[in-house]
Amino acid sequence: MNHRRTPVALTLPIAVVLGLTACSGGQPSTDTATAPAPDATGATAEGTAGAPAEGDGQLTLYSGRNEELVQPILDRFTEETGIEVDVRYGDTAGMAAQLLEEGDRSPAEVFLAQDAGALGAVSQAGLLEALPQETVDAVPESYRSTDGDWVGLTGRSRVLVYNPDQVSEDELPQSVDELVSEEWRGRVGVAPTNASFQSFITAMRVMEGDEAARAWLADLAANDPQIREKNGHIVADVDSGDIDAGLVNHYYVHELAQEKGVDPEDLSVRMHFFGAQDTGALVNVSGAGLVGDQPDGDAQALIDYLLSEEGQAYFVEETNEYAMIEGAEAPQGVPSLDELEAPKVDLNDLDDLEQTIEMITQAGLL
Amino acid sequence: MALVATAVALIPLGYLLLRTGQQGLPAWLDTVFTWRSGRLAATSVALAAVVTAASLVIGVAGAWLVTRTAVPHRRLLAVLLALPLAVPSYVAAFTWVSVADLWNGAPGGRFEGFTAACVVLTLYTYPYVFLPVASALSRVDAGQEEAARSLGRGPFSTLMTVTLAQVRPAIVGGGLLASLYVLSDFGAVSILRLDTYTRAIYTAHTVGFNRDQALSLATLLVLLTGLILWGEGATRRAGTRYASTRPGRPAAVADLGAWRWPAATGLWAVVLVALGVPAVSLVRWTVAGTSLADAWGRIGEAAAGSLTLSLLGACVTMVLALPIGILVARHHGRLTRFVERAVYLAHGLPGIVVALALVFFGVTVVLPLYQTSWLVALAYATLFLPLGVAAVLGAAAQAPPSLEEVGQSLGATPAEVFRRVTVSLTLPGIGAGAALVFLAAMKELPATLLLRPTGMETLATRLWSATGVGRYAEAAPYALLLVLLAAVPTWVIVQRSGIVRPAPSGATPAEDGMLLAPAPAAPLMVDSVSGEVGNLGAVTGTTTLRRPAEDVQS
Amino acid sequence: MSRPRLAVDLAGVAKSYGSRPVLQDVGLQLEQGGFLAVLGPSGCGKTTLLRCIAGFERIDGGRIALGNRAVALPGTHVPAHRRHVAVVPQDGALFPHLSVAGNVGFGLARTQRRGDARIEECLALVDLAGLGDRMPHELSGGQQQRVALARALAPRPRLVLLDEPFGALDASLRVELRRDIRAALHEDGATAILVTHDQDEALSMADRVVVLREGRVRQDAVPSTVYAQPADSWVASFVGDADLLPFTGADPAGRVRTAVGPVEVRSGGPGATHLVLRPEQVRIDPAGTGTGEGPVATVRDVEFYGHDTLTALALPDGTVIRSRSLAAPASVGDRVRVRVVGPVWAVPDGGHAR
Repeated sequence: MNHRRTPVALTLPIAVVLGLTACSGGQPSTDTATAPAPDATGATAEGTAGAPAEGDGQLTLYSGRNEELVQPILDRFTEETGIEVDVRYGDTAGMAAQLLEEGDRSPAEVFLAQDAGALGAVSQAGLLEALPQETVDAVPESYRSTDGDWVGLTGRSRVLVYNPDQVSEDELPQSVDELVSEEWRGRVGVAPTNASFQSFITAMRVMEGDEAARAWLADLAANDPQIREKNGHIVADVDSGDIDAGLVNHYYVHELAQEKGVDPEDLSVRMHFFGAQDTGALVNVSGAGLVGDQPDGDAQALIDYLLSEEGQAYFVEETNEYAMIEGAEAPQGVPSLDELEAPKVDLNDLDDLEQTIEMITQAGLL
Repeated sequence: MALVATAVALIPLGYLLLRTGQQGLPAWLDTVFTWRSGRLAATSVALAAVVTAASLVIGVAGAWLVTRTAVPHRRLLAVLLALPLAVPSYVAAFTWVSVADLWNGAPGGRFEGFTAACVVLTLYTYPYVFLPVASALSRVDAGQEEAARSLGRGPFSTLMTVTLAQVRPAIVGGGLLASLYVLSDFGAVSILRLDTYTRAIYTAHTVGFNRDQALSLATLLVLLTGLILWGEGATRRAGTRYASTRPGRPAAVADLGAWRWPAATGLWAVVLVALGVPAVSLVRWTVAGTSLADAWGRIGEAAAGSLTLSLLGACVTMVLALPIGILVARHHGRLTRFVERAVYLAHGLPGIVVALALVFFGVTVVLPLYQTSWLVALAYATLFLPLGVAAVLGAAAQAPPSLEEVGQSLGATPAEVFRRVTVSLTLPGIGAGAALVFLAAMKELPATLLLRPTGMETLATRLWSATGVGRYAEAAPYALLLVLLAAVPTWVIVQRSGIVRPAPSGATPAEDGMLLAPAPAAPLMVDSVSGEVGNLGAVTGTTTLRRPAEDVQS
Repeated sequence: MSRPRLAVDLAGVAKSYGSRPVLQDVGLQLEQGGFLAVLGPSGCGKTTLLRCIAGFERIDGGRIALGNRAVALPGTHVPAHRRHVAVVPQDGALFPHLSVAGNVGFGLARTQRRGDARIEECLALVDLAGLGDRMPHELSGGQQQRVALARALAPRPRLVLLDEPFGALDASLRVELRRDIRAALHEDGATAILVTHDQDEALSMADRVVVLREGRVRQDAVPSTVYAQPADSWVASFVGDADLLPFTGADPAGRVRTAVGPVEVRSGGPGATHLVLRPEQVRIDPAGTGTGEGPVATVRDVEFYGHDTLTALALPDGTVIRSRSLAAPASVGDRVRVRVVGPVWAVPDGGHAR
């Protein structure tokens, strides 16, 4: 077609202007105002964590944990300190990816993660700020970063859930190794896409070596495992008797009870804790770290609050997870953290997820 | 301007190239050319092929039945058949699994895998074919069919060789959208546990914190999308079609005789299964649990968030689509063909890749916009630009350049002409395009999750966080509201398509006018563009008609 | 003012698309209130010429002036909306979203658009008074063209351009509309250029006809001159029916011998090689009657048109010529005597139009 000089060329810019005004006109105010400009907190005084500058009473939190769980404790924190918390909820891995992509321009000040692996990945990229020693010291050595840039907030134990109608007490295994035997063919539920399962495999690699882990995965895959997307599905299916048993974290039983509005005792599903420092007894943590240069001590205050007796008690009650600080109550219906015979694994060593994923994939479980 | 808009569509591609470039070619080769990646790609392609084929069958058959036959309740069916578009694939998959579990006591017999994914994806993807084809069929000229019959062709032969050939651009365009949708879908395949390429990208990304691997894998998806676009382009070149300017008499409605009841039953079955299953599930969730929250305020807030972001997204998308659409509609050439294809590239990418690209773009280029609604809107624009461009292409046919020229010759400035002529004429079509973008934006999750302003929630993110911790009862109202709100733009689109009202005299006066207006001597050509127009131009109720070049000068 | 002012003045206008020239050295003048037709076959460049005058295309060379203002020179291009040149396109191109009154009022200032007398006046000019509230799609094709003209006239443009405005109408409607449009243009004192490939249209409507061929002006004259004294054999065969007979040399009295006998020749200049024999100049009588010097020919074909008849005749030397007469004087195969009435116009060779 010949180049007609249609009026289009001239009118396009106008189209854009019209379009934009039309948009902003018909639009309830967009959030440019409420969203924190990334440098809104950019006070020039670089508050070191030990000597916090005067806070601006506001902080931005990236939460990889669910709003349902986190928001009430944040509200309490705001009530007590007057510090407003802007929270971004997402899944832990997604948040970690976002933090990695944002780099040192991240608007986040605190990262609250479901598991140590995500914290490790962000820490490795050098995006986490060192925590003051007293904060670090409040948490047992095995549940914090060796570099002191993140701490565990709650502990969760691996556990075998089972349905007593299908699994008798004396059938219960002493070790996860038994679960890949013929006896358990087609009976065990696992969630290989879930971070908790992956951490568990990573721990197995650290404790028993890659070959052992690879072999276990291969045996599991050959043993007709019941694969589910989420731990919650496994617990629900065990409770209903669809599958006999499953490898999950301990607090999912509590969660199912809450969803159904009953006491955990009234569910069919039961928990079996592995002992003798078996890999199956791994205790992992959810944790938090400070992201990037801290403009003030607000973010530090939040972490300290979450590690306070009040904060810890909240998690124990609400999620049935283990508290990290000394002298806290144990969750209901489970042995205390001290009673658990968890394997001695440094959680900092569980950061090689890539290799783990590769193995799980090769076994055909992912 | 059109180039700027195209650049927006190419942000993800640029980002992919940058990141994979940083890793170097050997690393890229190592990641992409593995057996696993080959197997996953094969699964994805097979899934896309099966779902597209099935969608074409349901979509074309459904479209033909409701527009051209006396199947009972055809107007109602036309609307209902379009509605599955309002159901996000992850909601669909979730509800299907949960309903399938009702029948499925036996362990191991879970509703999952390739067949399950095919069934679910087809049921919620076929409207991408149904809508444009139904719209095109409702405008087909009876003359050609009558000529074919008079030359001794039987009804079936006429349907296959003449009628469907006339709406081929719409069929091909719908198929293209359906296949890209399936390629980039993550929600349904992850819930139905089918290992596809897109799922592998998500997995590499979210569980392994392995951004580089995820992005390397995504490049292959870009190549695959490019291949599909190329294939689609090839069929178009082979199938350039001529149509007369005058829509002519609407074609007669075929009497199916005894077949009308089986046909109706088939359509109702599709509708009932596609809409019934989610409905049953959502109701079950609502009554089964007690975690239904305190939540009216939160539901309201989430709905407001969804509406705000989707509306803004639709506006930004259409503003960007406008120059591209007009450029492509009015000028032919290598560049416009490139632009036309380029906007589709991001459409075949998983939302997470686009989202990460926008995070990168946000923090490095437009930091003040980062984590504001504007960046979310830009992400929507990147993802859904093809829908908008197709709508503009269709609408541009309603405002031929000759009208603009007349306006100018009467002394109106270009700006005035744009306002008084172009906008007035194209607005309905553009509005329908905006409705489709709005609909897609409502359902979008991964980009919304990563880019929304801190503290802002939408129905989709609420739904996601509730199901994430197994609170299905709490999730149910969000899902229900999401589907209901999404049904509104779907309704708008159906209305505009002219399927429901055979001659929307108010909506498309141009076409009615054409019935009487003298036609130019040269035949108008439905050419390359209308393939895309098929996607949506037809949905918005138009077909791009173009004159061959010769008539400009004589 | 003794001489009417020039409304349109084109000189040396050139335009090409890529390497293909479409207009070459086109010049024409039109006086205020005049009506000029640009006549040419498809592809001759007439639509491009119109688009250049309207301002939709830039010219590559030459000059276009409207009134006493140059609107297009190479490097200068007054945009269409500032030229006050209103176009009536081929298909009417009414704005489908506006009523008839809205269309007619489009070019008026905002304050004049609503209920202005000018709108009614223009509608009355085209015999559509009272139809202002209709929508375009409620009108017939002819009515749409009338509205398009009213719309063009409403803002009192310096020039109205009509682009084959009757092309798609049926014959009876066309004649009536031509007459009415001409009257309306005249009544409103408008200056107009009509672009058409239809010779009847050009000859019957315009004060002056410019014949365009392959981007060049072949003739610029009043309609009767174009018909009676075409510039060359191409124009002669394009405008009206004509049989071209080659000839050589004339006697001092201006008579030449031809296959139809001796005829009186007139010519505008030197270099004439062909006689333009219009069918109405050729008379036939039954063979054996009459005394003329004309030869006897055989009737090859008879086309009966009602108002007249066109008879094709084979001359003894094999040449075929046509004769137009009121009644059908012969049947195929009859032998008739042929004579030519009046002087015959001779033209230089310019090829055949058809």
